[in-house]
Amino acid sequence: MRIPLSWLTSMVDVDLPLEQLVERLSASGLEVEGVTRPGAGVEGVHTARVLHHEPHPDADSLRLVDVTGPGGSGEVRVVCGASNFDVGDVVLHAAVGARIPGMTLEARTIRGQVSNGMLASARELGLGDDHAGLLVLGDDVPLGAALDELVPVGEPVIEISVQPDRGDHLSIRGVARDLAALLATELLPLPELAAPPSEPGIPVVLTTDGVGAFVAWTLEDAVVRRSPLWLRTRLAQCGIRSIDGVVDVTNYVMLELGQPLHAFDLDRVAGGRLEVRSASGGERLRTLDGTDRTLETGDLVIDDAEGAASLAGVMGGERTEVHAGTRRILLEGAVWDPAAIRRTSRRLGLVSEASTRFERRVDPEGAAIAVARAAHLMAATAGARASAATTEVGSGGGWLARPQVEASAGRIAELLALDLDAQAQATLLRRAGCDVDVDGDGLRVRPPSWRGDLSRPADLAEEVVRLHGYHHVPAVLPPLVVRGGLSPAQRLERALREAVLAGGFDEVVTRPFVGDQVAAGVHPSPGRVRLANPLAQDAAAMRPGLLTGLLSTLRRNRGQGRAGMAVAELGRVHRPVDDALGVALDGLLGTGWRWHGPDGQELPLQPRALGLAAYGARGGDGWLDESSGWDVEDVLAVVDELARRAGVGPLTRRAVERDLWHPGRTVVLELDGVEVGIAGQLHPHASDAWDLPDPVVAGELLLEVLLQPAREGRPLVKAPRLVRHPAVVVDVAIVGPEDLPVATLADVVRAAAGPLLDDLRWFDEFRGSQLPEGHRSVGFRLRLQDPERQLSDEDAERVLRAVTEGVAAVGASLRT
Amino acid sequence: MDASQADALRDAAVAAFAAAADAAALEQARVEHLGRRSPLAEAQKQLGGLSDDERRSVGAILNALKADMTAAHSARHAALEAVELTARLETERRDLTGPARRIRPGRPHLLTQVEAEIVDVFVGMGFSVAEGPEVESGRFNFDLLNIPPDHPARGTMDTIYVDEDADVVLRTHTSPVQVRTMLTQQPPIAVVCPGRVYRADAVDATHSPVFTQVEGLLVAEGVTMAHLRGTLLAFARALFGADREVRLRPSFFPFTEPSAEVDVSFESASGWLEILGSGMVDPAVLEMCGIDPDRYTGFAFGIGVERVAMLRHGVADIRDLYDADARFLAAF
Repeated sequence: MRIPLSWLTSMVDVDLPLEQLVERLSASGLEVEGVTRPGAGVEGVHTARVLHHEPHPDADSLRLVDVTGPGGSGEVRVVCGASNFDVGDVVLHAAVGARIPGMTLEARTIRGQVSNGMLASARELGLGDDHAGLLVLGDDVPLGAALDELVPVGEPVIEISVQPDRGDHLSIRGVARDLAALLATELLPLPELAAPPSEPGIPVVLTTDGVGAFVAWTLEDAVVRRSPLWLRTRLAQCGIRSIDGVVDVTNYVMLELGQPLHAFDLDRVAGGRLEVRSASGGERLRTLDGTDRTLETGDLVIDDAEGAASLAGVMGGERTEVHAGTRRILLEGAVWDPAAIRRTSRRLGLVSEASTRFERRVDPEGAAIAVARAAHLMAATAGARASAATTEVGSGGGWLARPQVEASAGRIAELLALDLDAQAQATLLRRAGCDVDVDGDGLRVRPPSWRGDLSRPADLAEEVVRLHGYHHVPAVLPPLVVRGGLSPAQRLERALREAVLAGGFDEVVTRPFVGDQVAAGVHPSPGRVRLANPLAQDAAAMRPGLLTGLLSTLRRNRGQGRAGMAVAELGRVHRPVDDALGVALDGLLGTGWRWHGPDGQELPLQPRALGLAAYGARGGDGWLDESSGWDVEDVLAVVDELARRAGVGPLTRRAVERDLWHPGRTVVLELDGVEVGIAGQLHPHASDAWDLPDPVVAGELLLEVLLQPAREGRPLVKAPRLVRHPAVVVDVAIVGPEDLPVATLADVVRAAAGPLLDDLRWFDEFRGSQLPEGHRSVGFRLRLQDPERQLSDEDAERVLRAVTEGVAAVGASLRT
Repeated sequence: MDASQADALRDAAVAAFAAAADAAALEQARVEHLGRRSPLAEAQKQLGGLSDDERRSVGAILNALKADMTAAHSARHAALEAVELTARLETERRDLTGPARRIRPGRPHLLTQVEAEIVDVFVGMGFSVAEGPEVESGRFNFDLLNIPPDHPARGTMDTIYVDEDADVVLRTHTSPVQVRTMLTQQPPIAVVCPGRVYRADAVDATHSPVFTQVEGLLVAEGVTMAHLRGTLLAFARALFGADREVRLRPSFFPFTEPSAEVDVSFESASGWLEILGSGMVDPAVLEMCGIDPDRYTGFAFGIGVERVAMLRHGVADIRDLYDADARFLAAF
């Protein structure tokens, strides 16, 4: 809402420097978004009458124009590019030496003809956007008068942002009224109104609850002509285009008093009567903007005898529009149900100055005053004479009710931590226009008609502290009687993040949307949580896994020529309720990790996950060890460390062949036989599809599996017993078929070695002609220890025998 | 052997040791003068044939001679070792001023760092951390927060829907976590709710369809607006500096009444910068969430993590936070 300063001060006695006024407004819920000064810098521009004009002899699009000079006499020659004027019109002449924003005028020769200054358009003077022609004035201004003496061009215009519950701030009068309350100063009387005619106007029938007051005055003898300069100036300051002396007045009064008005050409209102009703759907109406619209059930509509004539509260109809030849005007002001207007406006995507105000509730008692005000102004701007008036009051739905509010002053003071007793609060509320009865601690409050936002004690509390000043509220720390802190699972999540970073992966945060190109990680599935109104085609669904975002990140950085990069993301992944991933997690965790809505209905799966991806040189650009590249082992190392930190596991690895992944370098990570992660190298085709250099390594882990035990209360880690007896080290080489995984062999060795085994390392792998075809030799180092005694050679022998038997059982043998 | 002979032997040995240029030469000199066949050793062997008196006097001379020669040898040995070490160290010289191998742990994302810092401020005051789903029921995201079905914020222009009919949305704030907390706990409640939230905004320099919030909620007996202000002042000072002040301005949110925008004093044109929205929990919200509004009051606030991060660290474009440029990641 834009507020020209002179307009505001015509309604409220305020005597603050602009800066303080702005600060006061901002501190009181009328946030000032900016102060502009349209037309600032205009100097020496005068009104002048066009005396004579002729074409420029050497330029088709230019005219030579003679206008009256300073003081309204004499004759001055100007070259002009516009043609929207004629002899006798009054225009604005920026003479030699005058200033308009951005320039000082001099006598200039244009195509051989001297131009003494220029004739100005609205835009050149900061009085609107119109640049198509000159600003042509009516006869309401004296000739030879300085523009800045006629109107306050260049004055401050304060733009405030209006809160949704304060529709009363959408008018100059409303802001003035609030300012008077805030400053405890005087609100000046209403501007002049026309006396209501006693003749009854046209018949109006209200058949809907969606309308409150409906006021319609008949104005006769109207002449539709251009608006006077003062009116055009204020509309321009408020950002509204001037149309004519009728429409401009309806807009002016809307800005002034907050009540939208509509002017019908009464001679075009078929049957000379109106009906206000709720549309039944399917009717058609061409609105003022020339668009054909189909009404739907619940739209509020004003009918004449030919059907829909106006879309109530949103936009008038073209058929009954005021035009140049209009003689009789039906001036309508009505109060509409905010919810109905909001629905219609939203449905049609049609937001007008009127709908904006009705949506936020206009003063239900303001329609008659606004119509009288407009009738008064139209007498001057269109020569119109009010001859008859109709006022109907709708039965109104609940939306019109204005209940009395009862509140405890003590509770309000306590909530606000302010030392304000009932009388002090009553004084403040009365300043806001409320009727207040004080009864001990009790306040009985009847809010004024324009304050729909004051309906409960909490609303009164806000109004009290707003008028008293938010800055009076002291700052006190609450005495907390609860124990806060991070939960074990939240602490674990932080620790896991640190472990990921220690592995050299940079954390990233990506936008969690995917399109068609999806890189599948753990539990691949076509299931998607699709968006009903996606912002873009490549953001049509929530991510089912983290790899898509990570590979996109790598691709972007690779595109900038980075030699290598490793990234990790911790975040939620999304799957439909019935996705296989959910079944798998249920098996491990129960269903406690799932989310539900208010009535127990299940929300899509959104477990936490970790994603890892890397390509290229580990050191990055410009480092000496450029040869060291990211490897799948780096991914596995991180994942294992996380499981150890969480005290979950071990995660077992099982080789898999899947789309996206290298068939010989990919494993799924299992917990109790359930897939909870994947790690591997991307298939060269996949690297290629993501514009990344082979090899690309990646992994994904469902963190929910690691976090859940912490939520349920993980047992504390007990200190290990540190054995002082020296360890015995036994190396074994096991020969087995290639497809016998190291993991299986390790399990066998562990089982065979029994409790003496302190540590087991895989230290060697060997293939060669000495071995049978399709076999390899795997070297393990066993570290044996007993807390109670020193081990002997016999102990080592016994372990070796057990291992020999154990590996034989899986088809392998000890190499000797 | 007499004293003059001993002096001659001592002088010869000391000279030989001093003349030895390296360890090998020194060892050779040692064998010659202190070894088993040296004149000294020979003389010691002959001691047995002497009378007691002679043996005593000659023995003393020989002992002194051996001690002197051994000391001279040791000194030379130490000197030669020092020279050799110096020479070796010289050959081992490395230029460590250039970039060498590096230990490069990854960095936590700026949003993670700022979020944790914000959360820790409140945790330090006694708040707990509550979590909830990102795909959320409209009832939790809107209705129970006093945002009725026809409210503009629920339109598809503002809210991203998963299912319009079933009213399942991408949560537009973390307030539904507050709702979930109130529905399952009785006061006193003191929680902060960090997490990602979503709005139907196209990506540009100042908008992101996904962003991060830390919201807070305190509900107990006797909670006042002064407690809100005190808590947020403590937050502002922790994040922006001990000399900061906060300013509350009237505002409107459907779920709080009174509501306040909060500014922190800042090096800007007006001297203030808006950092968060807050207010006293609307009694209607408490009631819908099963908490007696006559007995309990509360305050709530919502902090935009991106905004705090951008203000504090001079990030000009919100896209930088989500585009994961390696140079950006390495900066924090």
